Amino acid sequence: MTQPPLIRLLDATKTYHLESGDFTALKEVSLDIQENDFVAIMGPSGSGKSTMMNLLGLLDVPTSGMLCIDGKDVAKLSNLERTHMRRDMIGYIFQKFYLIPLLSAYENVEYPLILKYKKRDTSGKAAELLARVGIDRDMSAHRPTQLSGGQQQRVAIARALVNDPKILLCDEPTGNLDRKTGLQIMDILCTLHHEGRCVILVTHDPKIAEYATRTIQLDDGQIVEDL
Amino acid sequence: MKFGDIFFDLSFRSVRLNFTRSMLAAIGIVIGVVAISAMGMLGTNMQLEVKEQLSSSANTIVITPDSVRMGTPGAAPSTSSNSAITKTELTKITTVVGQNGTVVPIYSTSSQFTINSIPGRGMVYGLDTSDIPEFLSLNDTYGEGSTNIGVNEVLVGASIASNFGVKVGDRVKIGSVTESSRPQLRIAGVLNSRGTVVDGVSTDNAIVVNSKWYTNEYGGKDEYNQVNVIVKDTDNIPDIEDAIDAKVNTNSKSPAIRIRDAETLLATTTSTLGTVTTFIMAIGGISLVVAAVSIFNVMMMSVNERIQEIGILLSIGTERGEVRRMFLYEAFILGLLGAAIGGVCSLVIGYSVVDSMIGTTAYFFMFDSIIYVPIGMAIGIVVCIISGVYPAWKASNMDPIDALRSE
Repeated sequence: MTQPPLIRLLDATKTYHLESGDFTALKEVSLDIQENDFVAIMGPSGSGKSTMMNLLGLLDVPTSGMLCIDGKDVAKLSNLERTHMRRDMIGYIFQKFYLIPLLSAYENVEYPLILKYKKRDTSGKAAELLARVGIDRDMSAHRPTQLSGGQQQRVAIARALVNDPKILLCDEPTGNLDRKTGLQIMDILCTLHHEGRCVILVTHDPKIAEYATRTIQLDDGQIVEDL
Repeated sequence: MKFGDIFFDLSFRSVRLNFTRSMLAAIGIVIGVVAISAMGMLGTNMQLEVKEQLSSSANTIVITPDSVRMGTPGAAPSTSSNSAITKTELTKITTVVGQNGTVVPIYSTSSQFTINSIPGRGMVYGLDTSDIPEFLSLNDTYGEGSTNIGVNEVLVGASIASNFGVKVGDRVKIGSVTESSRPQLRIAGVLNSRGTVVDGVSTDNAIVVNSKWYTNEYGGKDEYNQVNVIVKDTDNIPDIEDAIDAKVNTNSKSPAIRIRDAETLLATTTSTLGTVTTFIMAIGGISLVVAAVSIFNVMMMSVNERIQEIGILLSIGTERGEVRRMFLYEAFILGLLGAAIGGVCSLVIGYSVVDSMIGTTAYFFMFDSIIYVPIGMAIGIVVCIISGVYPAWKASNMDPIDALRSE
């Protein structure tokens, strides 16, 4: 492989200091993820899935070892640089959608654009993305609480995509949805992968993991299987 | 703050969402702003009123006999035998003043009197008729009068005129009510109100008589209770005072006369009033401390209720400074709300307080007075923002992972 990987974890360890003693959630994990990968991360509770997502999402840094994203060593970045990288490189999709309750669906999608350009969006990109995930104009004026779970997740996907991130991090994106809606969301994620984005997905559901081109099994903070 | 700033929108919506709670917290600010600006305005209006009254006699030097004097150290205090200004002293004063002003010798005493069968008590001033127009003027609404009063004529003050229902031409009996035969004099005019004065001639509750009648009635000819010097140019006041002092107070250990003017009195009065105003405003400021605590409390509630939202904001790439700004905006909005309501209330309450306590609102809208409204509002807003600093800091320093996990 001549091209450097989009994400490289090298002997990454994450240890939490708890009152009951140190707890190592990830043990010397090494992993390369390419730009057009669709990776499903699976494993039982406490296996380190969330910790890995937090590291990949730049919400946390490894205690030891190295994490490089887009060729940059994350540990060497300042807090503000990590925030900007999170804003520009990574799109988050959560199990609980995590839309901003005080903003309308449209504003939720527009929000990352405002963060990036420090002004209201005039390009129409937010509206375009909402239309693409199947949220019409009427619905986009609603607050998140007035939308169904499936609609909220569509808005969340639009929000994740609006700054054209290279990486989509999906933490159990279908976990709070019924089967049919969940599959619709997965179809959207598949399309995004085919467009060339790197999609990383955490899930318990083997049926969902089947959409991925690569499945990583975690157990007790280590990779036990990488297919 | 840019127009359409999303963080300002978020803060505004948060305040609107918790409107009742926000309003209750802002009431503290309202009270604080009202306290500060109403008290400030009250004090300033008092000062302006006093200044105005004093400045009407700013051209007057007041000379009184130095009747109470301390003896030499160790000796028993003695009172002066010189309880009046003598003719010699008056002559000296007149010589010193020369063409620079008018010397007005004044007799005065307190007496009972009866007008229209109603008994009263007030000051009686004996003045030379030619001196009267130098500093007193007539109010013709009670009938046309003249300051050139004869021996059996008097002028009455504004309060007496209104309280006793006086018309020019009415009679006044001067002297104790129990006295069987009292001199009866004709009221030849009603004086304009002078308010609080510093030239020692408060005519509002007084009767001005011809000095000839006064000395006939009370005796003590050429023993004046007070001498006023009305100067032509107020810049000369210090020089004239010094000259009179040098000429009359020849014994420096036991001065014969005391020399005062409106300037010195004005300085002490305004500085006293200023101190009192600051003190009252400080008491008003205490209510702002209480308000600060309640704003702090509401801001902490807002932060704690929105931990997950803060987690979302941080995890999708919001800078910590932007989260901080959002909560400072919220504190600012609370402050603005309180200050705006407080500003309106200050105008209304301040106006009525000034009206009822000072009796005039002539100075209310003057810059020195009305400036306390924006000052009070600004202090209220600043207090709010300061109260919001810690909650905003707390919000911006949350760990996004922990914040997201909280329910």
